[in-house]
Amino acid sequence: MADERASILKLSHHINDGGILMQEILKVSNIEKYYGNKGNLTKALDNVSFSVNEGEFVGIMGASGSGKTTLLNCVSTIDKVTSGHIYIRNTDITEMKSRSLARFRREELGFVFQDFNLLDTLTGFENIILPLTISGVKHKEAEDRVLNVADKLEITDVLHKYPYQMSGGQRQRTAAARAIITNPALILADEPTGALDSKSARMLLESLDNLNKTMNATILMVTHDAFTASYCSRILFIKDGRIFNELIKGQSSRKEFFSKIIDVVTLLGGDAANVL
Amino acid sequence: MFFKLALKNIRKSFKDYTLYFLTLTFAVCIFYVFNSIEAQKAMMSISRSASAMLQTITQLMGMISVFVSFILGFLIVYANNFLIRKRKKEFGIYMTLGMEKGKVAKLLVAETFLIGVLSLGAGLLAGVFLSQGLSVVTAKLFEVDMTGYTFIFSPDAFVKTIIYFGVIFLIVMFASTVSISKYKLIDLINAEKQNEKQKLKNPVITIILFILSVACIGTAYKLVLKNGILYFDKMLAFEIILGSIGTFLFFASLSGFFLKLIQSNKKRYFKGLNMFILRQINSRINTAHISISLICLMLFCTIGILSTGMGLNDALNDSYKYCAPYDVSFQANGDVNIIDMFKGYGFDISKYIDKSVEFKVYMQSENKLTKGVIFEKVADLVPENYRAYYMETPLFLIRNSDFNKLMLLQGIKGIQLSENQVAIYSDYAATYAELKNCLLEYLDKKYTITISDKIYNVCDTLLMDGVITTPSSGIMLALIVPDKLVEGSTVYQTILSFNCNGDRKSTQLKLEDDMYNFLDKNKHIVDESGLIASTGETVKSIAAGQKALVTFLGIYVGLIFLITSAAVLALQQLSEAADNRCRYEILQKIGADDSLINSALFKQIAIYFLLPLALACVHSIVGIKVANDAINEAGGINVLTNIIVTAILITIIYGSYFLATYFSSKRIILRSKA
Repeated sequence: MADERASILKLSHHINDGGILMQEILKVSNIEKYYGNKGNLTKALDNVSFSVNEGEFVGIMGASGSGKTTLLNCVSTIDKVTSGHIYIRNTDITEMKSRSLARFRREELGFVFQDFNLLDTLTGFENIILPLTISGVKHKEAEDRVLNVADKLEITDVLHKYPYQMSGGQRQRTAAARAIITNPALILADEPTGALDSKSARMLLESLDNLNKTMNATILMVTHDAFTASYCSRILFIKDGRIFNELIKGQSSRKEFFSKIIDVVTLLGGDAANVL
Repeated sequence: MFFKLALKNIRKSFKDYTLYFLTLTFAVCIFYVFNSIEAQKAMMSISRSASAMLQTITQLMGMISVFVSFILGFLIVYANNFLIRKRKKEFGIYMTLGMEKGKVAKLLVAETFLIGVLSLGAGLLAGVFLSQGLSVVTAKLFEVDMTGYTFIFSPDAFVKTIIYFGVIFLIVMFASTVSISKYKLIDLINAEKQNEKQKLKNPVITIILFILSVACIGTAYKLVLKNGILYFDKMLAFEIILGSIGTFLFFASLSGFFLKLIQSNKKRYFKGLNMFILRQINSRINTAHISISLICLMLFCTIGILSTGMGLNDALNDSYKYCAPYDVSFQANGDVNIIDMFKGYGFDISKYIDKSVEFKVYMQSENKLTKGVIFEKVADLVPENYRAYYMETPLFLIRNSDFNKLMLLQGIKGIQLSENQVAIYSDYAATYAELKNCLLEYLDKKYTITISDKIYNVCDTLLMDGVITTPSSGIMLALIVPDKLVEGSTVYQTILSFNCNGDRKSTQLKLEDDMYNFLDKNKHIVDESGLIASTGETVKSIAAGQKALVTFLGIYVGLIFLITSAAVLALQQLSEAADNRCRYEILQKIGADDSLINSALFKQIAIYFLLPLALACVHSIVGIKVANDAINEAGGINVLTNIIVTAILITIIYGSYFLATYFSSKRIILRSKA
């Protein structure tokens, strides 16, 4: 059955490529992640493989405990895989040392978290510019880039505010600005709408969509919310540490895509063995 | 069950408790050691007067200990509150599991009790051992021989330490019970999620405050440099208050001001983690500036006490040389023969005497000749505290022949005055530079003195060699005059000075004992004759005692202040480490590598520790300068050695707290990574 699913995945890839050759940004190959010891082993990720091309907006969906956050943590180099390889722009991050990992995170990855993870002591502007100052970018250039990104995300007028003075949506867009400021190869978003009300969530998603379309940013987003997922161009469903299904938006409208997602989610909720 | 949980909690969070525990142990140890001084005489051969002095020191230490216990009490309550805050979530979990507030409080009480017993035990043990070493220092300060090693243990100090700290811990238990009962469950559970709100401050106000604080401190410096600190008057109180206000304002506005300053240099501000470090310190000092100001003032006191307190020693040491020119001096009112007088009472002084001189101090009847005769000529130079009082007091006269005999007894050449010549005598001047300058100026001007309508020239040497052995006061100002001149004058006082026969030291001690027992039975003699008697040994032990007192007091209070300040700073940083952990985690996620993060953490803690110390040092430079000026009047002191010793002490203790804080914070912050 696993083989069957893998072949479906492969097939879908070809469709997605649509004949145009795109650069592969992320390639996850046969990764496994075990927790616990011999006596009590939990497979959080079980032989997961997929890839993400440049300019894609990929969602990972699954119930809580399905392994989606573990997957994101492995991709984001915060956690280490038990076996398998992860390539980002053809660099194998599972083989990297911690020092170069920090540098890699700084240059190739951008993060957006559920609880924003902004530094409460810094203003919005300072939060966004921080990755650049760490990388040693000249402050003039850095400031220009901050203003540029802030403009795209419509947060120019809250730049001088501290996080606690902003609304949830503004905070999350500030976090998104910080994630994109270094022009990373891949933006990783972990439940970015989890702590937002529906209006803010919609604004944030539109911003992400905008980044994806206008700046050709590659985004990998973990969510369990169907509405949030409907902004993606492709969705991977995870269950019990394995990739269970894949949906591609293709030419369908967001509404159609949304109902397709709902179908799969319903399926996921039931006993998969009975359905398949 | 409770005890088991409490014990487990302590063991579990032992690393977090370490600094607190060590500070407590150290405090208990210091407390015991300085209260056990009296017991140390077991190791020394010590005179009656030295023993009395040790007793005085112990009493004073007792009084200071009350003050010290207040400071330590404050520290312990403060520290305990920090530890409770850190464990809010844990308490929240106990409560959601159905534990009542009362039981949670009981758990805390049990933990405090355990920590208290442990630190008290460890501290007392360390104290008992350390006091063995301190007795060597005591013996050296008193300049007495050690009789050989005896194990010293002071039951009084032991019990006292237990009682004082017992009370402090009781208060802590009470305080923690109260603070637990005030918390709401929802706050406890969510304790970790609450972000501290950044207080916003108007930059203009910050700058104004900063300028104001610098102005306050500067004015205080200027005033205190001008007025000195010899007398505690309203002016000095004003200067202290001004300086303190300046210090508070300084820390209230410093971080904001500093932030604005660096922000104006964007190249520096937006470099590496500079922005982050500055903001960290800014947010911390904004909420903690009061405690930082207090710490700064305490550190200032520590530096001041340690470096000038020990300096006072040298001054005291110098002055006693002039106070004990002979083995023994007896002083009695009026014209008497002291030896005969005592024979009459049934006490034979002569059996102790090797060589003696008895002399009279005369004064002109009806107060015709006052000290004003001399002082009014150099009124500007007369020490301020002398002006009002001494102008009107009689100017004493001593016969030239008596003076020469006194000098001969010391093996010093006397002075030969011609018939129309007098000389100025003042043994105060030897140790009191201001008085000396004033009198030398008088001699320089070649004034003459008129006594009983006859004009006398003043001999141009100032006589300063002591003529009385006395711990309190010699002769502030007198004239040595030709013998004839005193005819018709009143005898104010008769003084017998002599050296002892046999082994001079042991004879002195024997005389001291005999005299003490005799006068104890015949108390009326002292009242009748205005008797003052002192031996060189007494003077020496009083001087040594004062020296020891000042040294002990300085070290005692200095050490307590130092560990209190360092411990509060350390606890503040450590309790914040949990908040910092999230912040540093974010830094890691956005790609700051470990070395960058370590250096940011190091800088943050270093700046936090150095800020109060830096201002305290600046305060101290002024403080030591003024104190030095004041002490100089009582004899020169060697400040440099003391400053170096103080600096080493502070570096070691303060530095250890800093390093301990850094490594603990690093551990807390990096632990989350795994």
